[in-house]
Amino acid sequence: MSDDLIPVMRIADTLLVALQGDLDDATVIRIEEQLTHAVARTGAAGMLIDVSGLGAVDSFIARVLARVVAMIRLLGAEAAIVGIQPAVAIALVDLGVPMGHLHTALNAQQGLALLQRLRRSGA
Amino acid sequence: MTPPAGEQDLRARLRDVEALLDAVTDHAVIQLDLDGKVARWSAGAQAVMGYSAAEVLGQPASMFYTDDDRAAGLAEHELATARESGRFEFEGWRVREGGQRFRAGVVVTAIRDEAGAVTGLTKVIRDLTAEQQRADPMFRGLLESAPDAMVIVASDGRITLVNAQTDRMFGYRREDLIGREIEMLIPPRFRGGHERYRSGFFADPQPRRMGVGLELWGLRRDGTEFPIDVSLSPLRTDRGVLASAAIRDVTERREHEQRLRRQHEEIMELSTPAIQVWDKVLCLPVIGTLDSARAARLTEGLLFKIAETQAEVVIFDISGVPTIDTLVAQHLLGTVQAAALMGTASILCGVRPETAQAMVHLGIDIGQLRSRTTLRHALQLALTLLAERAETPAGVAELMGPAGAG
Repeated sequence: MSDDLIPVMRIADTLLVALQGDLDDATVIRIEEQLTHAVARTGAAGMLIDVSGLGAVDSFIARVLARVVAMIRLLGAEAAIVGIQPAVAIALVDLGVPMGHLHTALNAQQGLALLQRLRRSGA
Repeated sequence: MTPPAGEQDLRARLRDVEALLDAVTDHAVIQLDLDGKVARWSAGAQAVMGYSAAEVLGQPASMFYTDDDRAAGLAEHELATARESGRFEFEGWRVREGGQRFRAGVVVTAIRDEAGAVTGLTKVIRDLTAEQQRADPMFRGLLESAPDAMVIVASDGRITLVNAQTDRMFGYRREDLIGREIEMLIPPRFRGGHERYRSGFFADPQPRRMGVGLELWGLRRDGTEFPIDVSLSPLRTDRGVLASAAIRDVTERREHEQRLRRQHEEIMELSTPAIQVWDKVLCLPVIGTLDSARAARLTEGLLFKIAETQAEVVIFDISGVPTIDTLVAQHLLGTVQAAALMGTASILCGVRPETAQAMVHLGIDIGQLRSRTTLRHALQLALTLLAERAETPAGVAELMGPAGAG
């Protein structure tokens, strides 16, 4: 795609993206589209979304992230959010954003292990 | 009246008049020339002002004024007024030998020659201090018996009256305060603001506490500052509205407050330590009651510790929490959720039977949260979880290789 906003890294059958800086709502929506298309196009088995570089996560971004994860699952892949920072975690709990169903991991390495585990239990 | 019979008679009369003048000892009778210099100095003047005639004859009368009044040109103003109107009476501050100020009643009268031209001025100065003190012994008694430092200030900002507590608190002698501006008792950085505040008070004199919500400071004679509380009341007198300020030294109270705050923070710190008990396993012993402030700090401390150690499991030991109510449970579950968002699993331990009963009765749903009775069992579970997580198929490590390289 010509309007790719963020680089998507591919490690074997897993895609890895890193969200960075402060994202406005429109950008978040475009990223959502880009990620779902990337999973569909590549037929990847999993996707890791690294949010450790995000300046702030508001309830909108959080909801979109949860949405992306649900979409990726529908596309037959597993997705996990990695690198949620302490302040972000506190804010999300305070905001009451329902993220209980999300798979999360501390970092990309643990995220990869988590995806492997999910795939095995799913199989 | 018999007319003077000759020069001898005239001299005798002059002596009589001078003797009469010198017999007045509680009034300073001073004659000034047209330049405002002392031309005659009575015995009374010496008694009231302290200077001998030799010391002041030929000196400008402005030497008896306060520095501020002198700078404001009050001496010249008074002379000019007396020359124009013939007589001028007022109340103000004078300084006697040694620099002591006193409240003075002053009458200035022009002296004229036969043709009616002004040749000089007579000043009669009376020390009003004793009179004012005598005026209302009950008021004085009240002032002195007050536990606070009491300072009475006139609308021009000058200190009119102080009590013994003021002398002690600020370290000045009373006579060094009387007649000076109240701002001398305030650190220089607050003086401008205080002058504005003072004008505001006299524009609308109401009893009030000064600077509510502000920390007020007093300035001692030795230059040290100390925290104060000030209450202001208007005092309506026949000499106009005065401000009565009750000043309290709150050094001890402020120190006490600070100590309390510090201790509170220390307790907060101490009460929420997350300990790393194993590789990638943290233990958080929760002891005591969990209020919102403590819960917030506990959550924050734990999450940062997780980020720092990359711990994958955290054990909440709640055996030290006396009671679990809905609020405490919410705080705890919030922390568990936040940890889960970061990717860290939680294990509860040390739940007592009564706590378990209370939690179920309150309808607290702990969801996916696992619980173990003792810390040992919790740690075993933590290690099992870690082993499960570590059991990744061969290849992940290799897969990480290209990612790192590319």
